[in-house]
Amino acid sequence: MTTNYRLQKQISTVLLYVVIFIVLVIIAFPVYWLISTSLKPGLESSTYPPTYIPSRLVFDNYVAVLKSENVKFLKNSLIVAVASTFLTTIMGAMAAYALSKTYIAFWIRRALMLWILVTRIFPPITTAIPYYVIIKNLGLADTYAALIITYVSYGLPFVIWLMLGFFQDLPADIEKAAIVDGCSMWQRFRQVVLPLTLPGLAVTAIFAFIFAWNEFLYASILTSFTAKTLPVVISTFISDQYLRWGEMSAMGSMMIIPVMIFALAAQKYLVRGLTFGAVKG
Amino acid sequence: MQPPEAITPRTPARVPVLKQSYRRERGVLALFLAPSVIFLLLTSVYPLLNALRLSFYSWNMMIPFSKPTWYGVGNYTRLLNDPEFWNAVKVTLIFVVAAVTIELLLGMVLALLATSGVHAMGPIRTILLFPLMMTPVVAGVLWRNLYHSQYGVINHLLSLVGIPPQTWLGNPNQALPAVIMVEIWQQLPVAAFVLAAGLASLPVDMYKAAAVDGASRWQTFRMITLPLLKPVILVVLLLRIMDAFKVFDIVFMLTYGGPGQRTQVLSLLIYKTGLKFLQVGQASAMSWLFLGFIFIMSFFFIRELQRGES
Repeated sequence: MTTNYRLQKQISTVLLYVVIFIVLVIIAFPVYWLISTSLKPGLESSTYPPTYIPSRLVFDNYVAVLKSENVKFLKNSLIVAVASTFLTTIMGAMAAYALSKTYIAFWIRRALMLWILVTRIFPPITTAIPYYVIIKNLGLADTYAALIITYVSYGLPFVIWLMLGFFQDLPADIEKAAIVDGCSMWQRFRQVVLPLTLPGLAVTAIFAFIFAWNEFLYASILTSFTAKTLPVVISTFISDQYLRWGEMSAMGSMMIIPVMIFALAAQKYLVRGLTFGAVKG
Repeated sequence: MQPPEAITPRTPARVPVLKQSYRRERGVLALFLAPSVIFLLLTSVYPLLNALRLSFYSWNMMIPFSKPTWYGVGNYTRLLNDPEFWNAVKVTLIFVVAAVTIELLLGMVLALLATSGVHAMGPIRTILLFPLMMTPVVAGVLWRNLYHSQYGVINHLLSLVGIPPQTWLGNPNQALPAVIMVEIWQQLPVAAFVLAAGLASLPVDMYKAAAVDGASRWQTFRMITLPLLKPVILVVLLLRIMDAFKVFDIVFMLTYGGPGQRTQVLSLLIYKTGLKFLQVGQASAMSWLFLGFIFIMSFFFIRELQRGES
């Protein structure tokens, strides 16, 4: 009877692994396809039947992408994402720090948190038209500022909620000790609280960066050339250069590299980030 | 893991000695809050109110130097009689319900598998991260390639088992499921990750007790796992429903709403009306109907979450 039970258990374990393996292959295949297509030589990327393993690996597509004016758009993407991440994280962390203080009246905190949550809920398209009109009237169309303002606005609620959780996790006594030592609030924030929540701050910044780096809707509405970012460039590939899958895949692969590096670094707090701080994985 | 905190901040006991210092610092706290609050007022509240105002005006920006003219509730009544609008509502609802349901079910299966003693969590996590972190625009282009009717990989794989080539994104009946498939592929990891974290934090002794009582696997899942996991499931549902309603990028890239209007979600219709045809009033009215719906729905969700807490 025990051997029978063990055999049964072994079979179900094997089955479990097989199922997981199949699911993972289905999920991973498109990613493999993107990267392998980017490494195929010449026109191999649009042959039929498709070649599942590139006949040889070449970096021609990457060279072609980096030789053109795309470098400028890559730079745009980096500037906008880094600047908005920086601003969002600083402003959001300060606000979250204030909100983590229990001696602010409860209803004020609650109302602010709810309001901030609501700003995260509405679909971006619903403010797209006023943004378009306002940015145009301010003369900011096609500038970095237009995109940075937008991304800070969309990133702030997220940063505030996430950082609030990290601040609340800090033992209150640490700060009390600093108060007794006569540290001002700003000193405590800079020299005690921020260093202790540095991992949380880094993870929050990573999420803010990924959002700005991937954003397409506002980038396509608010920029036309000078401040154009990579997602907009990739979207225009479809209509203009329908058959240049190779270069498109190279660009797409380049876009996921930084994001993946950051995401892997933030893995530990991934669930927390994904759930807006509601589930602390 | 702790239960979802939703809206209620924690309230630790106050220390009387420090009260004086706290009172002094309220002003400083206001300064800490001010940048974010002012920024959000200007960049999210003001545009929303601006859109609300515009929704009562008729304004065709196509005409140079045109000004908004008062139109009352005209935009709203026109929308309610507009089949294109109702089609977009229908497509959006199908998209959200189908995508989120399948994600939740598959995510639950994956999470259960992953927490049932598999020793490869690291690689599994990494693989799931790729679709999740991929720029939606890139995912759109990539799947356009996979779905391609002439040299797409999907048709090639199907031909190996004798199924004739399909047109997928060009086919009125296949386009919406094909788009939903891409959304599921990208967002399934959210449900899987969060549910797995929830499962990992459930108390072990309950399961031991159930095993002693001779409960079957299904009984254990129904009577113990599901009720304990309810708050986490609600969080996943709330997040995924809210985000699925926002869908724009992948539809824009895959089909641009076609064929016909078969995949025209609300976001895309608002985009076309307001930013391509520049019917600003009409698009703003649509935005506000959309917003109203989202707010009411999230209100009920958040209330449910808070109830679970207390």
